[in-house]
Amino acid sequence: MPIKKRGTGLTAVADAWQLADIDVTASYPIRPYTAVMAEVAKRIANGQMKCEMVHGEGEHAQFSIAHGASMAGARATTGSSGVGVTYAFETYSPIAGGRCPIQALIGDRTLDPPGDFGSEHTDCLTLRDNGWIYGWAENAQEALDNSLLCFRIGEDPEIMLPQIVAMDGYFVTHISQDYVMPDQAQVDKFLPPFKPEFRLDVNKPVIMGPQIEPEMGPPLEWDRNVVMERVKELIPKATAEFNKIFGAKYAPFVDEYMTDDADMVFLLQGAHAVTCRSAIKYLREAGYKVGMCRLRWIRPFPDAALQQILPKFKVVGVIDTNTSYGAAGGGGVLLVETRASVSEVANKPIIQGFTSGLGGETITHEEFFKMADMMKQTLDAGKIIQSSTWVNFNDYDKAAIEVKAAWEQAAPSTK
Amino acid sequence: MAVAEMIKSIAQAPEKEYYLPGHRTCAGCGPALAYRLIAKASGKNTIFIGPTGCMYVANTSYACGPWAVPWTHAQITNGGAVASGIEVAFKQLIKKGKIKDEFPNIIVMAGDGGAIDIGLQAASSMMYRGHDVLFLMYDNESYANTGIQVSPMTPYGATTMFTPSGPEIPEAKKFFPKDPMAIFCSGGHPEVKYGATASISYPVDLMNKVRKGLAVEGPAFLHVQCPCPKGWTYPADRTVELGKLAVETGMWFLYEIEDGVKKWNYMPKKLKPVEEYLQTQGRFSHLQPEHVAKMQAWVNQRTQLLGMEVPLPPAQ
Repeated sequence: MPIKKRGTGLTAVADAWQLADIDVTASYPIRPYTAVMAEVAKRIANGQMKCEMVHGEGEHAQFSIAHGASMAGARATTGSSGVGVTYAFETYSPIAGGRCPIQALIGDRTLDPPGDFGSEHTDCLTLRDNGWIYGWAENAQEALDNSLLCFRIGEDPEIMLPQIVAMDGYFVTHISQDYVMPDQAQVDKFLPPFKPEFRLDVNKPVIMGPQIEPEMGPPLEWDRNVVMERVKELIPKATAEFNKIFGAKYAPFVDEYMTDDADMVFLLQGAHAVTCRSAIKYLREAGYKVGMCRLRWIRPFPDAALQQILPKFKVVGVIDTNTSYGAAGGGGVLLVETRASVSEVANKPIIQGFTSGLGGETITHEEFFKMADMMKQTLDAGKIIQSSTWVNFNDYDKAAIEVKAAWEQAAPSTK
Repeated sequence: MAVAEMIKSIAQAPEKEYYLPGHRTCAGCGPALAYRLIAKASGKNTIFIGPTGCMYVANTSYACGPWAVPWTHAQITNGGAVASGIEVAFKQLIKKGKIKDEFPNIIVMAGDGGAIDIGLQAASSMMYRGHDVLFLMYDNESYANTGIQVSPMTPYGATTMFTPSGPEIPEAKKFFPKDPMAIFCSGGHPEVKYGATASISYPVDLMNKVRKGLAVEGPAFLHVQCPCPKGWTYPADRTVELGKLAVETGMWFLYEIEDGVKKWNYMPKKLKPVEEYLQTQGRFSHLQPEHVAKMQAWVNQRTQLLGMEVPLPPAQ
């Protein structure tokens, strides 16, 4: 029987890893992802999980250990946060290129400087060009579910790619919440055992990762490109099957909220969707016809889904909880990807960018109201007023202008 | 391999090869010779991990490789970590009954850079954690794959692309090399129960050390000197001869440390002057008498430090 539990995104993923009967995991401490390893260590010590935990000497080693374990045929996991994610950078492409479907849990965290523990999506987004499958979970339940879904998609013999279960640090990794742990029979029905066609086997010797000549590289890269396209096809199928077996209601790519009659929407990913929904209720009462689109995946990017969905609206406000200094349009990664997705669509909406929720700050109701107000001005003007806006820094809404004027009056020397 | 069966002579060495012809190593390549002997000694139930280096690039060109056993690439940084993952995976999968394999011989074939320089962290941690892996360092005393650049194992006074000799730096490389046996096999890594130095010029000794390293439970370390005609600048037919000359002049030593006890495997009656070794190689051709004297003083000091009691040449 499924069990009702109270826990965090980290204990929820530990539950998923237990249900998936992982063989090897590799740890190294860094906040905020660390508690998943503490949880797994406890379960190994008390016999609840049959798994070998290797204490890596750093994140580079963690991912390398999981890579080696996967080549030997094990279902292997690891995880990290912040600068730990970037310390392991060398290993991401070899793991994906070697078609080793390991799974990493990333509880995101601001990159240094300034040594901020808070959630920010930048660390994990730096991996987006390496060929890993990933998306952000909104809460503990989705973290657990994404873990199982990722194993299923990544280990598919036609795919064989590593995956990241990403989640907002603290908001999802640490806030205690209710979720349901499915039972083993459900999981066994959904997730077959990991049996790779090729592994390190002395009775069937293979050579893995050989050096090649320049003309032999592009076909391998083409294959990695093709397989990512195949992931886009598999996601709806696997999600539908997941929903059926576990009684869930996930949209394959984009979770929509109050979009039926909306003329403008917030587009974002991860835990800030929770506050966003609540802010939308107030905004609706105030007469704003606003909704929300939450991305379930960042790789592969749900471009086809957005091409279907976004033309329904007049203005899209993309909220980036990440930095991509000097990016096209002045915003973050999601703004660039969203604009590119619909660039060739005839009746595309006006897309403007907001940078908010950096450094682990909550995006407050007031900030959502401000963004809605700025989107409304865009709607009324029928054109972009400002390509992208860092909320609380260069807002152009009326309330913000008034606050700024008051501040300048109080401190004239800063003019 | 539970118990090491020792090889008594080269005539009794196994005939079966697991490192086969069909690669692009240079004529006279020391590391290729090492690979052949090591693969012969370890046999069929072996998995090699090859961090980036000559033995990756020159062996696996064109997406194939000369091994008759499984081989995988690792980054130059992480041979020890990838091997750790492979080892725990086999242990766990066998324990859970998910595979029926016999636990294999797992050998990391790392160059000096992949073992003691950029790969040091992963190697050290693998040994600290006690993984049942033979970490083998084939030492050709430079980053040879990229065209001969200095590594921590490059001898004092050798020229490389990054250490040319010139009026401001007449001796070329200024530092003396690291001592990997001191790092891995002198108590600093308590799980390492067996460590040894070896040379391609003493093939029976090398093969037996591979077998001993594989027979011990837990990590083992082998430091194998492999002369490199291209990097050291000498004619390709002198590789084996130079390996012997290194031992006869104290530029290389053959010993093993088993459970903390050191044993000499070969001790010359007396050391030949180091100059006899230096003059065979182009990389030392610029050295002045004061540099040769400095090298001799280092050899003499090191010989005494290691406890080799043989007559030494004068150091001046």
